[in-house]
Amino acid sequence: MYTAAVQDLIDELGRLPGIGPKSAQRIAFHLLSVSKDDALRLAHSITVAKERVSWCRRCFNIAEVQAGLHPGSGLAQHAASEPAGDAHTVLCDICRDARRDPKVICVVEESRDVVAMEKTREFRGLYHVLGGAISPIDGIGPDKLRVRELIARISPEGVEEVILATNPNIEGEATALYLTKLLEHLPLKVTQLASGLPVGGDLEYADELTLGRALEGRRTIGG
Amino acid sequence: MYIEHLSLVDFRSYAQAELAPSPTGTTVVVGRNGSGKTNLIEAIGYLATSKSLRGSPSEALIKIGATTAVVRGQVVCPERSRRVGIDAQLRIGARDLVKVAGQPLRRIGDLSEVVVVTVFSPADLDLVQGGPAGRRAYIDDLAVSLVGRRAAMYAELERVLKQRNSLLRSVQISGWKPGRTLPVDVVSTLDVWDHKLVEVGELVVKTRRDIVAQLGPILAVTYCQLAEGDRPGSRSSVALTYRPSWDAPLADAVLRARSDDLRRGVTGCGPQRDDLELTISGMPSRTHASQGEQRTAALALRLAGHRLLTESRGTAPLLLLDDVFSELDAARSQALMENLPTGQTILTTAGQLPEGITPAAVVKVSNGRLEQ
Repeated sequence: MYTAAVQDLIDELGRLPGIGPKSAQRIAFHLLSVSKDDALRLAHSITVAKERVSWCRRCFNIAEVQAGLHPGSGLAQHAASEPAGDAHTVLCDICRDARRDPKVICVVEESRDVVAMEKTREFRGLYHVLGGAISPIDGIGPDKLRVRELIARISPEGVEEVILATNPNIEGEATALYLTKLLEHLPLKVTQLASGLPVGGDLEYADELTLGRALEGRRTIGG
Repeated sequence: MYIEHLSLVDFRSYAQAELAPSPTGTTVVVGRNGSGKTNLIEAIGYLATSKSLRGSPSEALIKIGATTAVVRGQVVCPERSRRVGIDAQLRIGARDLVKVAGQPLRRIGDLSEVVVVTVFSPADLDLVQGGPAGRRAYIDDLAVSLVGRRAAMYAELERVLKQRNSLLRSVQISGWKPGRTLPVDVVSTLDVWDHKLVEVGELVVKTRRDIVAQLGPILAVTYCQLAEGDRPGSRSSVALTYRPSWDAPLADAVLRARSDDLRRGVTGCGPQRDDLELTISGMPSRTHASQGEQRTAALALRLAGHRLLTESRGTAPLLLLDDVFSELDAARSQALMENLPTGQTILTTAGQLPEGITPAAVVKVSNGRLEQ
């Protein structure tokens, strides 16, 4: 229907998450209608991001290489499926920050969870990004996550506490449970983010599971 | 709570129809077979649940030849002095659009804040004659109608089972054979899903047992009211018992079933396999009761659920009885009409009403038209 170049562009855009065929078409025609400079600026920023951004070799958070430093080709693949090697020579900003406490590691599912945690400005330790959660439906078992890499950090880095901060959904809870069992033999403290009632919510609207968990995780404030 | 006014456009057999049922009494919808009585029940059911009561896809609810169907209802809640409009548009090839008081519906569960229905249809005989799945659905639906947030618990059970079954199947696909040791990763991941299954499973079982306990006495009374019509003084007792498919505690049972589960690739132990036993005079109704007793028991189950909902919500749900007299003999039909719960009731029939019954309103259906 379209010329090959246009169809290619639509197909590529359509592969992006959340973009259906209609949106792909609309974006493609938008890109064709803007000036060449505008379009190339987008292409350039994708290229630069792909060249500079990689995964932190320590915590697997997003890490950026300083301009001029090129850590090699084949960057930013999903690191779990890639042999550890020259692609992981970078450290992320958090791991490089000497003021952070390396004895506490907060385990999250994705890099965007690191951003969420950082926004609180409450946490001063380091992170470990698993790259997902256990979900047999999606074919994700512990072997597909960066679990081995987490265990390997514990003793060399002198970790004293691991905070499990996976998502409070079924898969996240299952992952936390799996990690708890894995870590319980090691000489360290394992904690999990409190789960329960949302701030600003109403008790009467909480479902029974949420309320049950909030009750289970209650804390003493007096007496 | 009652429906003050219902209007349909291109819904099933109706090109255009308006209905104003009696607010507190019984509205009888009379019409020949195939005239569209059940379609009317289905329209009201759709308004309350935003899905088809018969499990048809929305597209099947649109009149043949039309592209959009509209169901509109005015619901009145006198106890909260509120009048709410529900407006549903069903479109071919698009998602249904449901608006409550002009606002798009966010969750289907939110509808139950406005309107709740109890539906009886001849297919409910399956509750007594059919397999355990129907009876579990009956109790679970009732549990959610009583407390809407329980839907999250049932969704979690379903998700955990899906994950666990996926894991079991992936073990089969990997070429594992019974007798061989399982990879450590598989064992520890299974442990995790077992834990989740037990956690949510015990909550589901507790909820079901609670409801069975509340429902039992109401069901016994309701059944007697219906059955005594033909045999005055007779005392047929109906009892409801929750029958787990496992021996407590659930955690041990799940662990014991693990090797079977691995062989079959499916979770064989847990609330998803439990049953609800209904006995009449001590005998299992599924195998020992007569057709008539089974029909009466099915109706009694629906009415008992209706009464439980009425008690707990403080207001009666809308009661929809589809073709109910075809299920009962004259004496039981009479008994039903004499013992109908209070609140708005809409019932359909192809034949005559039992003697001495004067409904609050009668609506005639023919050729896709309603005549009030």
